[in-house]
Amino acid sequence: MSIETSFAPVAAATGAPVSLSMQRLWLTGQVLAAGARLVVEHVFRSDEDQALEAIYAFPLPRDAALRSFRISGEGFEAHSELKETAAAVEAYEDGVARGSLATLAREYADGVVNLTVGNIRPKETVTVRLEILCGVELRDDGFRFRFPFTLAPGYHARAKAASAASGEGEMELPAGEFGDVILPGFREDASALHQVGFDLTIASQLPLDEVGSPSHAVRVRQAADRPARVMLATEKDVPNRDLVLDARFQAVAPQVLAGRDQKGVGRFAAIVPSSSFGALQAAPRRVVILVDRSGSMQGAALAQARKAIEACLGALSETDSFGLVAFDDAVEELQGRLVPGTREWRERAHEFLAAIGARGGTELVNGFLAAAKMLEGGGGDVLILTDGQVFGTGQILAEARAAGVRLHCLGIGSASEDRFLTLLARETGGVSRFVTPRERVDLSAVDLFASIGRPLVSGLKAGGNIQPAPPPCVFAGTPVLLFGEADDAIELSWDGGQLKLPVAFENNGIAETVWLLQGARLIADWESRRQSTETPAPPLEKRQQDRVAGRLRALSQTYGLASREMSLVAVVTRSGDRLGELPQTRVVPVGMAQDTEFGAYFPAATSHGTMHAPAGPPAIAGCGMAAFSAPQAEAAPSASPADHRAVPMFERAMNLLTKPKRAMEPPADRDRLGETAEDFLLSLASRMDSDGGMPGENGEARALATAVAALAFLSQGHTPARGAFRSHVARLLKFLESLAGLTPRHQEAIAAVIELARKGAPPAGDWVALARVSTDRWKEVEEEVLGGGVSVRR
Amino acid sequence: MNSSRTLAELSESTGIPARTIRFYIARGLLHGPVKSGRGAVYTAEHLARLEKIQQLQAEGHMLAEIAHLLAGGPPAHTAAPPSAWWQHVVDEDVMVFVRGDASPWRMKAIRLAVDEFASRLREQQTDQTRRKPE
Repeated sequence: MSIETSFAPVAAATGAPVSLSMQRLWLTGQVLAAGARLVVEHVFRSDEDQALEAIYAFPLPRDAALRSFRISGEGFEAHSELKETAAAVEAYEDGVARGSLATLAREYADGVVNLTVGNIRPKETVTVRLEILCGVELRDDGFRFRFPFTLAPGYHARAKAASAASGEGEMELPAGEFGDVILPGFREDASALHQVGFDLTIASQLPLDEVGSPSHAVRVRQAADRPARVMLATEKDVPNRDLVLDARFQAVAPQVLAGRDQKGVGRFAAIVPSSSFGALQAAPRRVVILVDRSGSMQGAALAQARKAIEACLGALSETDSFGLVAFDDAVEELQGRLVPGTREWRERAHEFLAAIGARGGTELVNGFLAAAKMLEGGGGDVLILTDGQVFGTGQILAEARAAGVRLHCLGIGSASEDRFLTLLARETGGVSRFVTPRERVDLSAVDLFASIGRPLVSGLKAGGNIQPAPPPCVFAGTPVLLFGEADDAIELSWDGGQLKLPVAFENNGIAETVWLLQGARLIADWESRRQSTETPAPPLEKRQQDRVAGRLRALSQTYGLASREMSLVAVVTRSGDRLGELPQTRVVPVGMAQDTEFGAYFPAATSHGTMHAPAGPPAIAGCGMAAFSAPQAEAAPSASPADHRAVPMFERAMNLLTKPKRAMEPPADRDRLGETAEDFLLSLASRMDSDGGMPGENGEARALATAVAALAFLSQGHTPARGAFRSHVARLLKFLESLAGLTPRHQEAIAAVIELARKGAPPAGDWVALARVSTDRWKEVEEEVLGGGVSVRR
Repeated sequence: MNSSRTLAELSESTGIPARTIRFYIARGLLHGPVKSGRGAVYTAEHLARLEKIQQLQAEGHMLAEIAHLLAGGPPAHTAAPPSAWWQHVVDEDVMVFVRGDASPWRMKAIRLAVDEFASRLREQQTDQTRRKPE
């Protein structure tokens, strides 16, 4: 193979050059703290001898709606129209039948969109620029923007999956529930697919401290008083994961983006940080942790989740109670009820977690129903750690609303189920975060865990015309986002407090943007109530669904945004259109989501490229009794000579089902020496006793170990009020405060440690290194806190 | 009855959207129209083929599989196309066969069921052994 051809896209199976019906996807636009206004450019090209119909399937980001598209090519340009979906499909089909260039952007269940471009002529290039509005994930100190460059396969009890010889996975969803949606082929190797890239601006009212990306190599241009510009650092990238961008504010303060529209109406988007609502009061917590152990969590995601849970449990005290549930298509509980956060129960939780491996499907509903049962009668919160890779989310959301528990979601994945998990948390009154498996999932979990279980504020209400209604509760670390109309101020009230935010109008077209973001958010909320089931709905449910559909149509018309009920269509009539010519239909493949096992969804490929494995005699791939009599044992299919070709397939499939892979071991166990400061803090957190102190032989030893641990957390910027480990630090201090009967010198040192921590001042020494060695370190502690901050060496 | 139809008419009589029919043609599940261009028409054969596809889908087959079956898959009176099966020896005298190409979560469900089955058989046997001396 020549050098040239080895870099050109080729089919993995044949080595032949690949012709791509979509060649490029480029993301531009502006990202604000209140949401993003994007233009996605899709470049289609036909290498066929006949007309081409290209179908590109993509998932919507969170709180998103399509606004319009512009289609252009040599000598033409056209804009989309918003029509009721049935009429849009009819217009599209009429256009295709007449031989005209027709384009349809239609949304299906679960926010999957099919962008279909019919009758691209041979050797013609057509560009579709699609405008999308979407939300961002807000934190008090910044925000995270996420845009899907691929679509992750998901679990559905009645989905069918197979893999073709080309290495492409295929997934089909039941038509009764999902209509005629077409899913892409999933390529294990995305390198020969269309190229993706981005060039975005990030603007914020509060000055930005830092902009970066955990998913892509980016180039950032930041200057004072100007929006930051973020570009892909390389020339192009492959479609196998979401783009994730993080922006951090220099300060934490309320922001109000406001402007007057053409009619003079004042429109705003307000971001009110949780710190504006007061500080968190300590109170006993009731929390159930729900961990997804489905096959797709296999590998880094589950290993990270395990470590994260242990660290979270370290933040619990004996007055707190917790439950632990693991689910796939079966549910397993640590205990069928809540248990106290004692050392004994945390140790049992550790054993429970160690035995968990990734296996079956993602039956989320069974999981949170089990969690809801544990909380029955006493209220409380559920924290879900999942990749959220499921289809049929409408039904799950309906069940979640009915279960009446507050769900907080920590999404782990490289391809977006952000839309679903955002809705799942919001619709039940919780908060959500979404991280990639290559980030510190454990730290995000600890951070989220610190704020759940006790809302800062309940009964939140807003005066004036605010839509959607504000969330009922506010949790530490997560701001409240409000959209509405106002003339001079926004008034908020809650049980025991109130707040008035002044509104200053800007003259920069922000009114239209916040209006569109509000529309997209309302559409996303109503779409989460839209269900499609295969069985005919009972009359009451049908009336309810008709009401939801009616509301969506009205919102689409009011805001000029597409939804499940209204789609975007354009037909371009050109000379030379040939009536009745049948275009060749091609579906644009996407990359399998990075860090998701291909085999978790798609059975191994066979040489025929169909589901039938060529196994010679129709039977007997030996799978002995061993796999069944000892469930933990690895299935070791012994090859019979007759079916040597079939065995690797079984081996692989059964390994996935029965054997936890080495990659699932927590990274820290693999390499003690490569442990980072965060790794060590996590292990400290999970070793904490339920009285808030560190373990030790006697009172003096415990006091010392706890003081050293507190200094280690402080040295990494974690104080009782700040940082992911804030609730751990608060508990360590509480323990230190309770100490009595130490030698006067030690008692004095402990008081000084408490003082230092309250101020949030970092100590000078390398306390992480010191905490690692288990010698008597009273001297170092005394020197640090009493000896005028003398820096300490190991 | 006039047996030739336009794509729109074919779509209406089968309830399959026109785009899906074009997708089937591209995948080789269905022949293209008899005449292309201005007079593109679909015949009763197309209709019958689409009905067959719907039937096979209802039976749980995927499109890839249907394409294989329709493109000269063996006729109904001969054996089914070869497929690979797991053989689980549950007991000396009991064996369970499971098709090897089930989805991972289906495999998991089946495995649990076989486990349960196996342990129930073992329990019965232990009961019998215990009862024997009496």
